[in-house]
Amino acid sequence: MKNALIKKSLSDIGRRAAYLLAGAALIALAACSKETPSKPDTASKATPTVEAGSLTILATSDLRDVEDLAAQVKAATGVQITFKFGGTFESTDLVQNGKAGTDAAWFANAKYLLSDPAGQARVRQQEKIMLSPLVIGLNTSSAKKLKWDNGAKVSWADVKNAAKNGQLRYAMSNPASSNQGFMAVMGVAAAVAGKSEALAAGDVNREAVREFLAGYKLVGDNSTYLAQKFKERQGEDINAFINYESWLLSMNAKGDLKEPLTLIYPHEGVATADYPLMLLNEAKLENYRKVVDYLKTDAAQNWLAEKTLRRPITPDAAKKNAGLFPANQLLIELPFSTNRGVADSLIDAYLNEFRVPIASTFVLDVSGSMNDGDRIGKLKSSLKALAGQDNSITGRFARLNSREKIWFLPFSYTPGTPTGFTIPVAGKLEEKNATFAAIGEYLTGLKAEGGTALYDATLVAVRNMAAERELHPENAYSVVVFTDGKRTQGINMDAFVQGYNAVFAGQKAAKKIPVFLVLYAEGEAGALQQIADLSGGKVFDARNQPLSVVFKDIRSYQ
Amino acid sequence: MKSGLRNAAITVALMAALGGGIFYSATDKRATDQVQATAALADKRQAQIVNITGLIALDVEPYFKDARVIKVLEDNNFRVNVTRVGSREMASKIAKDAAPDFFMPSGVVAGNQIADAAKKAGYTTANYSPFYTPMVIASWVPIAKILTANKIAQPSTGAGGKDNTYEVDLGKLTEVMLAKKRWRDLPNSSGYDVGRSVLISTTDVRKSNSAAMYLALTSYVLNGSEVVASKEKAQKIGLQVADLFQRQGYQESYVNGNFDDYVGIGMGKTPLAFIYENQLVTYALSRKTIDKEMVLMYPKPTIFNKVMVVTLREPAKKFADLISTDATLQAIAVEYGFRTNAADALVEASAKAGLSIKPRVVDVIDPPSYETMAEMIEIITQQMKN
Repeated sequence: MKNALIKKSLSDIGRRAAYLLAGAALIALAACSKETPSKPDTASKATPTVEAGSLTILATSDLRDVEDLAAQVKAATGVQITFKFGGTFESTDLVQNGKAGTDAAWFANAKYLLSDPAGQARVRQQEKIMLSPLVIGLNTSSAKKLKWDNGAKVSWADVKNAAKNGQLRYAMSNPASSNQGFMAVMGVAAAVAGKSEALAAGDVNREAVREFLAGYKLVGDNSTYLAQKFKERQGEDINAFINYESWLLSMNAKGDLKEPLTLIYPHEGVATADYPLMLLNEAKLENYRKVVDYLKTDAAQNWLAEKTLRRPITPDAAKKNAGLFPANQLLIELPFSTNRGVADSLIDAYLNEFRVPIASTFVLDVSGSMNDGDRIGKLKSSLKALAGQDNSITGRFARLNSREKIWFLPFSYTPGTPTGFTIPVAGKLEEKNATFAAIGEYLTGLKAEGGTALYDATLVAVRNMAAERELHPENAYSVVVFTDGKRTQGINMDAFVQGYNAVFAGQKAAKKIPVFLVLYAEGEAGALQQIADLSGGKVFDARNQPLSVVFKDIRSYQ
Repeated sequence: MKSGLRNAAITVALMAALGGGIFYSATDKRATDQVQATAALADKRQAQIVNITGLIALDVEPYFKDARVIKVLEDNNFRVNVTRVGSREMASKIAKDAAPDFFMPSGVVAGNQIADAAKKAGYTTANYSPFYTPMVIASWVPIAKILTANKIAQPSTGAGGKDNTYEVDLGKLTEVMLAKKRWRDLPNSSGYDVGRSVLISTTDVRKSNSAAMYLALTSYVLNGSEVVASKEKAQKIGLQVADLFQRQGYQESYVNGNFDDYVGIGMGKTPLAFIYENQLVTYALSRKTIDKEMVLMYPKPTIFNKVMVVTLREPAKKFADLISTDATLQAIAVEYGFRTNAADALVEASAKAGLSIKPRVVDVIDPPSYETMAEMIEIITQQMKN
């Protein structure tokens, strides 16, 4: 490409400067002493450090494994890159509204962002850095059973049917908040529609999407969390993982799975993440170019291929590293619809119609300390936002959805009584608004006083959910605990663990109801983590970010 | 990176020269005199140098950054300050009392638009076309074979007099595309029997010139081999062509996007990529080799993307003459993959890098007027919103 020619002329200039510098050094040395003159090489090596700089990057969280490259970038270009990580849709929201606060953005896939004029206008330059197709990693034994091994031709319709029949039970990141899940759903919609080109709104076969999602058994927002859960439940109730090829190959390479995954590349096509690095801040153009040019060198491309198992974008590095990837795969790319309406309506349908409805109990600390700094007020307003009309990209996905059930369980000295609400089915807007209003009213009425019977309340909530599940096994149950301090009242941790285990005695790990905990103010990180580990949940830290953001996060795991 | 490094290099060079000078003056009188003589010469030249400013398209930016180009221009007493701007934005940069000395847009359409705007603002303009590149379809051997088997393409004479390029009947191909045929629907398509539609991929026509060239070409074919000239025709044909853009789905809006997909992702995403010939040529020249499966197909008819120079002031005319005629400057343009009056050098250099290009491209059409183009682009933009 042109770049290479530019580089050639550049290095000419560099060389010339080096010679001049060396010449000067020679003269200087000749004048002062008789030591050996330094070589031109050392002089030219010194030039990059003349102009040091920085480039801050908002990156999607799947790019954490690229962070280590920063040192090499610095050494080669003098530019210090620093990352800030976020979920795909959260980051899209930030960039689109000009609130990224970074010089650049690096997404696995920016097509959703760039299919909107507002998003496009924020991006000054972009360049693709590497590739990884979204594929299905299936237990080798299951692949054999389904006769999907040995390079068999598998179509998206086969995938959808296997999901519907219970033969494919997969882990995948949330389609409403992350790119992998979103692209998979788009892929099914496109491929099953039998369309050979970009989808229009009328083309979406909703039944097919529903059937595909029937196999969606393990929900979460980030791949690290999902991988952990997948390892625990692989072969139990989960037999597949839908993610980027790079992630699945890495999991296989680690060798700690119960059995390796066979990678399935549906033959109509796949959606490939192409990792565009996008310049947002024009003033950093020079540093951006330096970083991009370096990332496309053989050294960087080889590193990315070897360490992260993403396919190189440059043909030379692709050839060199071909052995790292399954051979003879002609990857057909599914066209991506530029119609945001299609994408948005799919996500909306996922949340309000297709997904397993969420049923959860929110355990709310209303002890006296919640009056400090109006913590109780902040808690109320962020919960009200879930039941409100937050119309940002993430807000739409985080708020309470149709068919969802939610209970609030306030506690101080003792656990209160769970109060439940059910969000009406899609389409019943008036009823939905009335329910939201009722939730708002309930929350307004909460008052903070008294002690912290943390474990009693959590256990009551777990029992409440387990009992509900007996009656309505079709929902996805969880408990969300919010506390600002240590337990002061009621049972201790040991008693809680005993109580929790008693609820699920004799049941598989997958049957445990996960407890998600929000760490706030003087909350006790260690104890909360213990509960998360016990239940297969997760701790969310709200000490350094707004509560509303944390609640949005939690929604992706429910 | 480029200018930064250059600045750094110049700074280093200056420091070195200064440092050297100081040490020298203390020890060696003769050398000091030499330094002074050189400086005097530089001063003299400085006085004669004419500074001119220009707004240029991305395609020629590397050319202007080439040290050899800068040197030849300086030897001819020109120091040219260029800034990169999208070709279609250029006309808006002209005001009565403020405009650059010249514009260097990509394409005749943008060139005419700029000349018109400049005349309206009271400038006397002159148009030059120092070099050009034909629009081509970058493809793959298996694809070319399928199209050949379907009598849509045929092998054609390339480098060394061999049949190592292809000629595509654009009328037939457009027919297949508009009929929404899939690759696997075509007879003899075992080399690429996929469910994707037969479509040429382009950049976003709302943003980029190469896609506009595609529009110019397909509209000609759909208009019974005539350049679209009326508003009514523009509206009717714009609607038809819109389909060819819309059905591609997401398109890259930056100039290299489509080409990057062709070389980076390959046949699975981009079986047919509408590009400037010089994109693939410079790619081959810089790497000295290309994938054996890559092949160039020349649409019949085709269209040239001419690099235009539109001058607004007198000194710029001399500069435009110079890059249009100076043998060295023309030869350097060839290195960047452009065609000049002497195409042989380009054919030979590309062949050495493993890429065969057609020595002579004939059956070339002119694009419609920019008003007609704007009309069609507007229609397509409306369609793509739906």
